[in-house]
Amino acid sequence: MQTMVETRNLRKTYSRPDGSTIEAVKGVNLEIRQGEIFSLLGPNGAGKTTTISMISGLVEPTEGDATIGGHSITKEPMAAKRLMGFVPQEIALYPELSARQNLSFFGRMYGLGGKALNRRVDELIEFVDLADRQNDRIDTFSGGMKRRINLAAGLLNSPPLIYMDEPTVGIDPQSRRRILDTVKLLRDEQDMTVLYTTHLMEEAQELSDRVAIIDHGEIIAMGTQDELTQQVGEEDRLEFTIGEQEIAETQFERLQQKTPGVTRVLYNPTEQLSDDSSESLPALLTVFAKRGRTALPQILQDLDSAGVEIQSVAVREPDLEAVFLALTGRALRD
Amino acid sequence: MRKILAVAFKELYVTFRDRNLILLMFATPLVLSTIIGMAFGGGGGDSELPDFADITVAVVNLDEGVDLQETLNLPDQFPNQGAGPTDPAALLPPLPDGAALNFGDQLAAILLSQPVESPGTTATQEFDLSELECSLLDESESAGTAAAAPLGSLDDLLDATAMDTAEQARAAVDSGEFAAAVIIPPGFSSHVMPPFAFDAGFIPRVQPAGEEGTVEVYASGGLPISASIVHSVVVGIVNQFVRVGVALGATLETSVEALVSGIVRGEIDLNSVDLSALSTDLQNLDAAALGPLGCLITPGANNVSAAQQPLAAIQEAPPFSRIIVPTGASQAVFFALFTGVFGIQSIYQERRNWTLQRMIVSPTPRIFLLIGKLLGNLVIVFLQILILLAALTLIASLVIGQPTLIWGTNIAAILVVTLALSLCVTGLGVFVVGLAKTPEQVNLFGPMINISLAVLGGAFGFALPDQAARFSLIYWGVDAFTLLANAQTGFALNLLVLFGQGILLFLLGARLFKRRLNL
Repeated sequence: MQTMVETRNLRKTYSRPDGSTIEAVKGVNLEIRQGEIFSLLGPNGAGKTTTISMISGLVEPTEGDATIGGHSITKEPMAAKRLMGFVPQEIALYPELSARQNLSFFGRMYGLGGKALNRRVDELIEFVDLADRQNDRIDTFSGGMKRRINLAAGLLNSPPLIYMDEPTVGIDPQSRRRILDTVKLLRDEQDMTVLYTTHLMEEAQELSDRVAIIDHGEIIAMGTQDELTQQVGEEDRLEFTIGEQEIAETQFERLQQKTPGVTRVLYNPTEQLSDDSSESLPALLTVFAKRGRTALPQILQDLDSAGVEIQSVAVREPDLEAVFLALTGRALRD
Repeated sequence: MRKILAVAFKELYVTFRDRNLILLMFATPLVLSTIIGMAFGGGGGDSELPDFADITVAVVNLDEGVDLQETLNLPDQFPNQGAGPTDPAALLPPLPDGAALNFGDQLAAILLSQPVESPGTTATQEFDLSELECSLLDESESAGTAAAAPLGSLDDLLDATAMDTAEQARAAVDSGEFAAAVIIPPGFSSHVMPPFAFDAGFIPRVQPAGEEGTVEVYASGGLPISASIVHSVVVGIVNQFVRVGVALGATLETSVEALVSGIVRGEIDLNSVDLSALSTDLQNLDAAALGPLGCLITPGANNVSAAQQPLAAIQEAPPFSRIIVPTGASQAVFFALFTGVFGIQSIYQERRNWTLQRMIVSPTPRIFLLIGKLLGNLVIVFLQILILLAALTLIASLVIGQPTLIWGTNIAAILVVTLALSLCVTGLGVFVVGLAKTPEQVNLFGPMINISLAVLGGAFGFALPDQAARFSLIYWGVDAFTLLANAQTGFALNLLVLFGQGILLFLLGARLFKRRLNL
């Protein structure tokens, strides 16, 4: 399969006001094939947007390069940009303009004009199912409708490659479902390559042909979902919500050593959501165990005897969240 | 090019869709200008003088006059000449004591509309300056002058009151009782007619006057137009005195030089000079002998009225127009300055909304985005000023009651001046936004700079000295529009300054602003 995007040692360093520097992306190497949905999965602040910004020519890399369809984004930016569409995380539209006016304006930025522009705008408005609202101002749209026009604007030039930077942030489940279906449609019906960034494991899991997990500006794992979950073995993940209790380290050690099937125990103590919030995230005890459902009764019994009050329990089969947790010791939501 | 135009058109469209912005850009300056125009220019279309009649003026005359004996003290002028038949000092009779000329009295009398009198040039016979006639004027010209008198008559224009001290007059202006105070200093006459002396070759040289004798016009900040009229009138009259002084000085210099040269070369037979008769003639010198000077000093004749001529020309326009032209133009440019700065500043908004990023990701060179944005802003400012000028014309026509082209009829020149101003305003906007590091800095420095320029340029109703005002593009713009409104030319310098300043700021600003496109 032909390579659509390739990055070599992509690095971005920012200077702080105090003169020190911060390395947002630390030498990312990616290879994205034509016609696949490639997800960049990582928590907020992991470097996903900076990486995608460098690949799209928005931000100049401090070091390294990226090629789009064989064109270097630093040396042949116009040729590279003609091959890509861009759907940013923000609603990058003019709120004072109508949906149609927005698409027409950005279409002109891609060199479209006249009848070709009108035809393409018509197609996209139909595609995102907003024909009846096409002449309404964007600031009268719901969040989901804005997202759909935002997506349509990225498709104006019928690009073989489209970047989508967390396109489902802040929308209702129905609109989210619609966008996820659209992404799959682009790949399946238009053979489009999609570079998709998200911090939601479920989205990456549902959409992606391949996934790169990024944390602290580094790619820590890359491959198909099967390839990645194999990295954490066949362990199930048992998540116990245990409220605001303090649990001694020795009790985890005993659980890990004495309970059959348990391989590892991770404990995330209670955290406040923010300084001025009285709400707290519940403490989460994650137990990795082979044949988790079989081991569960014994684990419950051991925890009970240790005085741990359990509020809820969930048994999860190996997934990308488990991979991230296994690789970083943190959950994606952290 | 299509992409540049697309960006420029988008700027235009987005701006003119913003109701709040429209309110700021158009409604505010129009309402302000109209209120000021109505308040100070009246509502009607009457083009006669009463709007500027009876301007209250306090007149303080402290002038000590010039002692002709000291000025012409010939023995002092020739200290090395001994007494004898060729002693020039002995040729002329000594002038009697008190032979003083007081130009301050005359200036005060003119302002107070009193008969102009002088203590006389000789001690023996006084003469009334008002009796001087200008033989250079024929009857028709005199008639024309007389016919114009009602328009230019100082008696109608000024309501002058004599006061004793400068402090008292200034306090009266401060309290709002008077629009201006004219303070004639003690050395005014000496300033107008400085002493002269002979150099080693008997060539007479006038000693340069100092600064201490200049008349002070203490103006009320609240009545700038009235104060400006008083200032113009005083300048006009004083200029006549200076001309008299120069004429007298030149006459004396020439006469004395010819006399001395004649004696030295022996061309004048002193024995044939009847000094006694000459002395009598000099002492009997009367107004008739000074007739030609009437052309210079007679009130209401060509010279004094010449100083009032611009005033009369301006007053051909309806009062509302006279006020709305400078006020409206300055308000239009002042508010355009905000459009210039905040229009360009929208780059930060675009960056926050990610529309800028979306444009950058498209295959469009950044320089196209920059040019498109700046072009769009230039057109917006141009249209804003033009629409305001048109709206003010409409308002003025409605107020006056007939179609009135308050900006004059030279449409091409109006467009060129507007373009030059727009370039300057946009250039300033680009420069300010380019210089600032954050939108907060623009929000702080933008209005500060705009208000400073407005203060300097006289947009807030009070005028600073021209030397200061020239630092403001508002001054150059308003001046050009005022010239056009009065059907005058001579705004080439204004255009040069505005275009030059605009291009310079534009280039500097664009260079700085380019950094804002780097994310």
